[in-house]
Amino acid sequence: MSLETTIEQVEGASPVTILALDGELDASNFEAVIDTVRGLYEGGTRRLLLDLADLRFMASSGLVALHSIVRIMHGEPPPDADAGWSALHAELGDRQTEVQLCAPQAAVERVLTRTGLDRLFVVHADRDTAIAAW
Amino acid sequence: MTAPAGAAEALAPDIDLEAVVAPFRGSLSVVIEDPDGRPIATTSGEAPPSATSVAIRSGPLAGGRVRVWDENPASRLGGAVAESLAVALGALPVTDPEAVRLAAATTRRIEAELAHGRRLQRSFVSLVPPDVPGFEIAAHYEAAREVGGDFFDLFRLRRRGRPLSIVIADVTGKGIAAALLMAFSRPLLHAAIDHTRGPAEALERTNRILVDERRSSLFITALAARLDVRNGSLSVANAGHEPPMIVPGDGSPVRFLLGGGPLIGAFGRLDLVEIGVDLAPGDLVLFYTDGVTDARSPHGERFDEWRLVQAVESVRGGTSAEVVDAIAGSVGAFQGCDEVADDITIVAIRRSVRQTIRRSGGR
Repeated sequence: MSLETTIEQVEGASPVTILALDGELDASNFEAVIDTVRGLYEGGTRRLLLDLADLRFMASSGLVALHSIVRIMHGEPPPDADAGWSALHAELGDRQTEVQLCAPQAAVERVLTRTGLDRLFVVHADRDTAIAAW
Repeated sequence: MTAPAGAAEALAPDIDLEAVVAPFRGSLSVVIEDPDGRPIATTSGEAPPSATSVAIRSGPLAGGRVRVWDENPASRLGGAVAESLAVALGALPVTDPEAVRLAAATTRRIEAELAHGRRLQRSFVSLVPPDVPGFEIAAHYEAAREVGGDFFDLFRLRRRGRPLSIVIADVTGKGIAAALLMAFSRPLLHAAIDHTRGPAEALERTNRILVDERRSSLFITALAARLDVRNGSLSVANAGHEPPMIVPGDGSPVRFLLGGGPLIGAFGRLDLVEIGVDLAPGDLVLFYTDGVTDARSPHGERFDEWRLVQAVESVRGGTSAEVVDAIAGSVGAFQGCDEVADDITIVAIRRSVRQTIRRSGGR
């Protein structure tokens, strides 16, 4: 049960930070991923691509991480850790673009679809497609 | 008695606590105390017994208190100031190694207490399902030591035909916040089901309450269903939960009842659609949480849906209790001797082959 994260910067007209998740995202590490993204946002990242190619498994805690990541990248730090976020009122066509996903494996994609979190994200086939499309 | 010089710096080096209390000087008296009750910042000496006192619940000063008092006893400002100061000080980052250790110990203790409370609460949740003539109901619940927020609820509705209401849910995340959300949501869901026309509306209402009333970074996957016990008609609404499995009594392949909407707490609206299925005599419907499918072997494999199907097939035609036991046994063997990593909940409902209610014209 381990997760490795790799951060890469793509410079250009619209710089993108790529956060690659390798392993299993679950209750033991989802808070660390949130903290990583908080650090990236504070460091100036405004476009984040989550590369899920090597993410073999995502537990329901992973959904909490994704939701929080969208909030952070939207520039909405919670007043304190216990207060939490308000719900997202995502309507169709109102998909945020600050955080995008690429290359989810079938098991991860199933969890995203089942829980409706897929409606939050633009999902790309791979990194290059994602960067080109941004 | 005042704490030794430098105590405040040692506990919270990132903030000048004297500067925190200074602005109140002249209007209110404020004292910040360390976890041992020693003042580490004060505007005007020791607090009288009448002072409003609020505990600092987290951060480097966890266990300490903020005491505020006012010369004017009619003023209610003191309480509000004490409350907001305590919350603000609770949000301070923990940096000192000793304070980190203490804060972690406090958190562990609170978590242990909550886990205990959770089990206690669970013991009140009747694991003995309600008696429903014409149906066999079996349930299995196994609590994880740390993580886990499963709950289920089976009860007869007080309306025509006394339908059976089924709720199975899982709070995401872990720790104190998850335990509290679970304690809060179970009665909320129960009440919503009692006061709405159907499962979809009940989940929608629960979502609205949680979203409006309670900011949270945690969610609940929840499934609510209603079974008409007179004819076996089952209606299911699914908010991001694992799909139920239908095990036909005639031996045809098992299938998952797919379809539903997002989990509770993340979006303003769920827009759920109810899925209907008719249970014929011998048909079984199986509800479960991700503690089953996400169970992990010592080699790192996951139990997954195909092993669940396999376990069910191994006792095809069996009673609800046999099916539940087969799954629980299979998950247990798969996980090895380790403690379960997540709560495991399994509920099976089978329409009896032979109807137990039989009315004859006379004796």
